Amino acid sequence: MLNMPVDVIATFNVQGKIRPNYIRLEDEEHALQTYKIENIIFSREEKYAGMGAIHFCCNIIRNGCAQTIHIKYHVKTHQWILVCDG
Amino acid sequence: MDKIVFHIDVNSAFLSWEAVYRLRIRGEKTDLREIPSAVAGDVKKRHGIILARSTPAKKYGVRTGDTISDALKLCPNLVMVPPHYDLYESCSEAMMEILKEFSPRVEQYSVDEAFCDMTGTVGLYGSAVVAATLLKDKIYNELGFTVNVGISTNKILAKMASDFKKPNQVHTLFPEEIEKKMWNLPVGDLFFVGPATKRRLQTLGIHTIGQLARTDPDILRAHFKKYGEVIHAFANGIDLSVVADEAPPNKGYGNSTTIAFDVDDGSTARMVLLSLAEKVCTRLRADKVMATVVAVSIVDMYFRHSSHQMTLISPSNITNEIFKASCKLFDQLWDGTPIRQLGIYTSKIVRGESYKQINLFDMNRYEKLSRLDETVDAIRERYGEDSVMRAIFLNGPIYHMAGGISPEKRKPKYQEGIAL
Repeated sequence: MLNMPVDVIATFNVQGKIRPNYIRLEDEEHALQTYKIENIIFSREEKYAGMGAIHFCCNIIRNGCAQTIHIKYHVKTHQWILVCDG
Repeated sequence: MDKIVFHIDVNSAFLSWEAVYRLRIRGEKTDLREIPSAVAGDVKKRHGIILARSTPAKKYGVRTGDTISDALKLCPNLVMVPPHYDLYESCSEAMMEILKEFSPRVEQYSVDEAFCDMTGTVGLYGSAVVAATLLKDKIYNELGFTVNVGISTNKILAKMASDFKKPNQVHTLFPEEIEKKMWNLPVGDLFFVGPATKRRLQTLGIHTIGQLARTDPDILRAHFKKYGEVIHAFANGIDLSVVADEAPPNKGYGNSTTIAFDVDDGSTARMVLLSLAEKVCTRLRADKVMATVVAVSIVDMYFRHSSHQMTLISPSNITNEIFKASCKLFDQLWDGTPIRQLGIYTSKIVRGESYKQINLFDMNRYEKLSRLDETVDAIRERYGEDSVMRAIFLNGPIYHMAGGISPEKRKPKYQEGIAL
């Protein structure tokens, strides 16, 4: 599995801090599911291959269980990417 | 104060950059740097050479510049990826930014190489080796690729040092270490000594850099003229050039293109020349300069090179004028052998406002044409290179601005996954 782009609702505060709030993923039946991002465990700025991105490690609740996911906001293209850690 | 110069060289740059991109951005699992792999051109378009290869591929004897078929004979399981120049620019820029944090004087030497003047930074980062290690690790941690850093008191020695052992290493080559570290190397390893010079030196019985360094400069001057003095100085570690943070102005502008098929008719060749003229002149105009000398080069299907040049009545950067001159040169030069590659080169660059010699026979044309070019440039600047083109290129086999980095080399098409 490769990283893939995902829909995200995020808030940008007055200091320019970004917080992803909801993420929309496709489930096994190809239906779109929206998950609330419960908390952010950490975030950091990255610049691999010269491409600026903000990496968020966060928890969502899926099927009653907390699940840790990694998503990245790419500053140049404004895309959110779900990191596949297979 | 003793001068300290760093030379930073990205280890198999194009390949490393693609590897980082695939691992970190696309989320692939294989690291191209750990398997026999190479960045290679497109065989179908006859751009079929190896541009960069991984260290495991090097062990098979694959070299940069080999044809793809030769490389596959050496290493049948070689993984080949297409070039990705947009990525190279972004990686290169990001690295230069980090270098500029370390030193106020950074000279970008090529897309993947730079010199840093680190004189007087001992109070900031500690001794040279400590600083270089810090720099190398920072680039690796932040950008994800490895570099070699060569340390010395001038550029030539720093460059030689960064070439010693790869990857991810810091080496020093101070003047007192020349004898031990550099003189036993083969003469072909010396910067500025290419395969042709190497052969000529070997016939003189000069096989190592040390032998070159101890050769009487008069002998070298007799054989190689001024260039002999240069390589003699380099072999002795003498280089007076300074780290220049501002790039010297271009002395010439040229572009060439290998055509996907052999061109055997003049009209197609002229179309290629027009597309090259379009490219070269756009670059001239972008830098607000004009060229006085135009040259055309041809490589035919037997890989024979030929070229021909002329001086214009007055400097120009007008596409039509350069194109006309190129056609004239081409007609005089071409013997009818099918053509593989065409190029247009301009030189004797004139900067800034220059007075135009009006030609009696095309009065007013000059102003009209230069306004036309200006408008076309403005449209392309705003809406992209392909937004306006000459009708002759519509649906044709030739891209309307040939030469340089063509669009398909900027970003490859990945079959799946993201390509940011």
